[in-house]
Amino acid sequence: MSTPAAEHTPGLTSADSIAARARGLTKAYGSGETTVLALDAVDVDIARGRFTAVMGPSGSGKSTLMHCLAGLDTVSAGRVWLGDTEITGLKDRELTRLRRDRIGFMFQSFNLIPTLNALENITLPMDIAGRKPDEKWLDQVIDTLGLRDRLGHRPAQLSGGQQQRVACARALASRPELIFADEPTGNLDSRAGLEVLGFLREAVDRLNQTVVMVSHDPGAAAHSDLVLFLADGRIVDEMERPTAQAVLDRMKRFDVIRARSVDGIPTPGRVSGLTPDLTPKPASGLAPGPASHRAPDPVPGAGPATGDAVRSDEPAPRKD
Amino acid sequence: MLKATLRSFLAHKGRLLLSALAVVLSVAFVAGSLIFSDTVARTFDRLFASTSADVTVAPPKDLEAAVPTGQVRTVPASLAERLAGIEGVESARPDVRAGNITVVDSDNEPVGPTTGSPTRAVGWSADERSVVELTSGRTPRGAGEAVLDADTADAEDLAIGDTLSVQAQPGTFRVEIVGIAAFTAPNPGSALVFLDPEVAAVELLGSADRATSIAVEAAPGVTAEEVDHRVTEALGAGTYRVETADEQAATATDELGEFLDVIKYVMLGFAGIAVLVGIFLIVNTFSMLIAQRTRELGLLRALGADRRQVRRSVLTEAVLLGLFGSTLGMAAGIGFAYGLIRLMSVFGMNLNTTEMVIGWVTPVTAYAVGVGVTFVAAYLPARRAAEVSPMAALADAEIAGVGRPLRTRAVVGSVVGALGAAALAGCAVSTGTGPAASLLGLGVVLTLIATVVAGPLLVRPVIRVLGGAFPALFGPVGRMSQRNALRNPRRTGATAAALMVGLALVGGMSVASASMSRSFDEQIDRTLGADFVIQNANFLPFSQEVTDQVRDTEGVGVVVRQRFAPVAVRLPDGERVETTAAGYEDRVDDVARITYASGDTAAALADGGIAMDAGFAADHGVRAGSTVPVEFPGGQRTGLTVGALTDMESGEGLGVRGGLFLGIAAIEKYVPGGQDSALYVNAADGTSADELRDRLETTLAPYPQVQARDQADYKDLVHDQIAVLLYLVYALLGLAIIIAVLGVVNTLALSVVERTREIGLLRAIGLSRRQLRRMIRLEAVVIAVFGAVLGLVLGLVWGVCIHQVLALEGMTALAIPWGTVVAVVIGAAVVGIAAALLPALRASRMNVLEAIAHE
Repeated sequence: MSTPAAEHTPGLTSADSIAARARGLTKAYGSGETTVLALDAVDVDIARGRFTAVMGPSGSGKSTLMHCLAGLDTVSAGRVWLGDTEITGLKDRELTRLRRDRIGFMFQSFNLIPTLNALENITLPMDIAGRKPDEKWLDQVIDTLGLRDRLGHRPAQLSGGQQQRVACARALASRPELIFADEPTGNLDSRAGLEVLGFLREAVDRLNQTVVMVSHDPGAAAHSDLVLFLADGRIVDEMERPTAQAVLDRMKRFDVIRARSVDGIPTPGRVSGLTPDLTPKPASGLAPGPASHRAPDPVPGAGPATGDAVRSDEPAPRKD
Repeated sequence: MLKATLRSFLAHKGRLLLSALAVVLSVAFVAGSLIFSDTVARTFDRLFASTSADVTVAPPKDLEAAVPTGQVRTVPASLAERLAGIEGVESARPDVRAGNITVVDSDNEPVGPTTGSPTRAVGWSADERSVVELTSGRTPRGAGEAVLDADTADAEDLAIGDTLSVQAQPGTFRVEIVGIAAFTAPNPGSALVFLDPEVAAVELLGSADRATSIAVEAAPGVTAEEVDHRVTEALGAGTYRVETADEQAATATDELGEFLDVIKYVMLGFAGIAVLVGIFLIVNTFSMLIAQRTRELGLLRALGADRRQVRRSVLTEAVLLGLFGSTLGMAAGIGFAYGLIRLMSVFGMNLNTTEMVIGWVTPVTAYAVGVGVTFVAAYLPARRAAEVSPMAALADAEIAGVGRPLRTRAVVGSVVGALGAAALAGCAVSTGTGPAASLLGLGVVLTLIATVVAGPLLVRPVIRVLGGAFPALFGPVGRMSQRNALRNPRRTGATAAALMVGLALVGGMSVASASMSRSFDEQIDRTLGADFVIQNANFLPFSQEVTDQVRDTEGVGVVVRQRFAPVAVRLPDGERVETTAAGYEDRVDDVARITYASGDTAAALADGGIAMDAGFAADHGVRAGSTVPVEFPGGQRTGLTVGALTDMESGEGLGVRGGLFLGIAAIEKYVPGGQDSALYVNAADGTSADELRDRLETTLAPYPQVQARDQADYKDLVHDQIAVLLYLVYALLGLAIIIAVLGVVNTLALSVVERTREIGLLRAIGLSRRQLRRMIRLEAVVIAVFGAVLGLVLGLVWGVCIHQVLALEGMTALAIPWGTVVAVVIGAAVVGIAAALLPALRASRMNVLEAIAHE
């Protein structure tokens, strides 16, 4: 049931153009009176071949969303698909294989195994799976990230930026269907951070990968094709072809909501009722259907998938 | 600061648990062995004091044989009348006790303990001194009746009306059990057969006028000391051994004490191993805890704690751990002593004790050991903790100690190692047993220290090789486990050291015992010419009947008897050597191959002749033909002419110094009432060995205590004796391994905690739980095998050196038990897997997200 990403021909059908989707994704912590909803019935589609950023203030549920989409965390309710595979309800072993074979990860820090050198770190997921890396692809990734002369170094011998580049290479090396990056620039200085963002952009544009990045940095989000805004467990807005300034402005409005919700509307996870007043168009997170967003104009050098729109009325694939 | 210390102690209690366990084990062994020996000693002290007569008159002290002669020393029974006449003596009664007997039931099965405790026939006397009380039946009256002790009756399923056959020196006689008597006091494990006193003297000692001792009771108002004084005066000093009840008890306890001391020293040996291995565990735990707490310690320093305070804080933690462990250890020690006392009853030693004796020495020693060990072990880590700079609080959490250079270790390790190697080399080339043994001991200690100190330096090269095949065999999981083991050489080295110490000891001892076995084999091959050796499994002498029956067996050709006698020889160099001489019949050349430097068998066995080892003779200035004064028991002196000097490789050793032997007639003359210790039998012409074996087995059926053994059987018997040593070593190994496993568990558990984020990352990018568990297991295996390899190499080197010392004692063959070596390495791998079980489980159960977010 797992289909290696490499075999996909993006853009053939609309279903194929969605790398991951969630319907009614709910994640609750605690029980009874003290229940806190980290994610509140979120519907989202991640388009293939695009660079999606997930933004939101601290505690908005953006990391939880990523973890649930990536099969790292269990959901309280709702369903999640990676490509055609429903991952909700999978056992740990299947989830592990899915992460290993079909998803790439980049974390904020501690991305690399200190005992392995750069090359060994890059090929680790494939080594674990007992698969041979695609040498041509691997060379391309290594050259793109400029790691050729660092391959024999251990993580301790690399700078923070280099370490994140190795992590990026590892995420790309197995040509996964989806790459999740959790605050990949959070621990880097601005120059190294820009470099890493540039590589992620390049991974999408030149290597035709799909990237989902969680960040709270508007500057980082500006490198994406689409920004999803999360607040109190719901997707409250999205922004195509964002700029740092636009994202920053949008984020500032959350602070206003926050202030208001604290003042007058105490119900946690229910602030979304206010969003129509504040957003230019209704937030997709409020709609009963899937999140809808328009594809941006084709980016120069992007693969065919980037041109495809994701239809908002696309019915969720069902497994019977 | 104390509050912070207590908090930190409690916060880390889980991690300190395994260290505490090591302390508990050490203390339990120390306390248990002390309590056990105190309790047993007290019990027997009371027993002997209450069951001994006020004054006992026994044969005088004499030469003691290293090999039992079978002779029972007696006093005239009529002495009792003489003693009764002394003023202040209420009564004097001859006692008869014989230990040189064998009792068999009607099926020729031996009755009595098989563990070496004696079976005794005793003249019945029913007074308040008796250790038994008749519980059923009646007392023995006249010949053919006996009372059996209840423990033996239970064990052998015997009852009133059953018949026993008692093989005594004068001859075998049959008795019917007419009564059963229960011990009223602790039973040290012997089987007792009570006879009518007069019958006992005749049947056991050969004459009604013999007794083994006279029990003298003081008249009312007269102290035992007074009676002792008067009896000694009346008899003349030195003619008899006269002892009061207290002295008697002390002597008896001393004799028993030798046996108890063996147990005590064995137990203290275990305690020593536990302490030694435990130290490594504690050092390692504290080092790791401190490494983990580097930031915390740095913060303390930044906030103004000075070095001394940090050090004291760690040491206080150690002392708390020591106190805690010692207290549990004391409790465990009491339980352990109780278990040991119960265990003794399995071996027939019924202590009937309800009261534990815990002298003040026990808790003092227990706490001194427990707290001392922990304190000493924590001292180095504490100093290291004090060296943490305040900057560590600000730095990224890098584990301290990983990168510190091992230069000091390299220097100390190689210097001590060189000294140790020199000592061992000195041992190897040494020609005297004494210096060789001392050099051996020194070399063993120094090389052990050197290996422990330099262990971390050996981690890289050795584990590169050991784990070299891992990447190929187990892929990235293997590669990561190998590198994890290499990650912190200090930690790996210290963890493996615990295992190494135990295995080095085992390696050395197994080489030594294998070499001894082979040496004896070769010696047996070289010297034993007889088709069969008839002997008691415990090498105890047997009754004359056995010899007579064997001689009368059809198909028996030559029979050569062997007896032993304690002797003292006055040598020309002025030294008086007390040793044991063997006596042989004339045709010894037919059953043994003796090589002579000068003289021959005939001259050695001739009347008035003796043979001795050529080397011994040369050392003491004896030449062939010289006459040496020889003293036999009972003060009998004679001059014997050295008729032959033997040139046997193993002339000395086993307490039989000098390799003295002479004609059996001389021994029979000077040790009357002795028994044969062995018969060397050849088949007559025309009788095959197998035929003879069948016939001998038929002949010996009524004498279950002796067996006919051919050379192979005889070797097995010798191997069994050596194996006892090996079993002890294996038990020590077991203990060392248990503690070492705790160490590996500890290290892995802490490593898993330290690598939480790494494990989370691995799981996130697709390492399955099973692969993760395998990674940790392989790391444990490589650490354990590293320890095993180091230990075995060290142990083999020691073993070869021990062999050099043994060779000086005549045991020249060197045997390296490769089977054991391979088994130990495989065992170490299994140990690693077992140790990894829990840490691996814990790692695989980690929540991936929490692990990634772990600080």
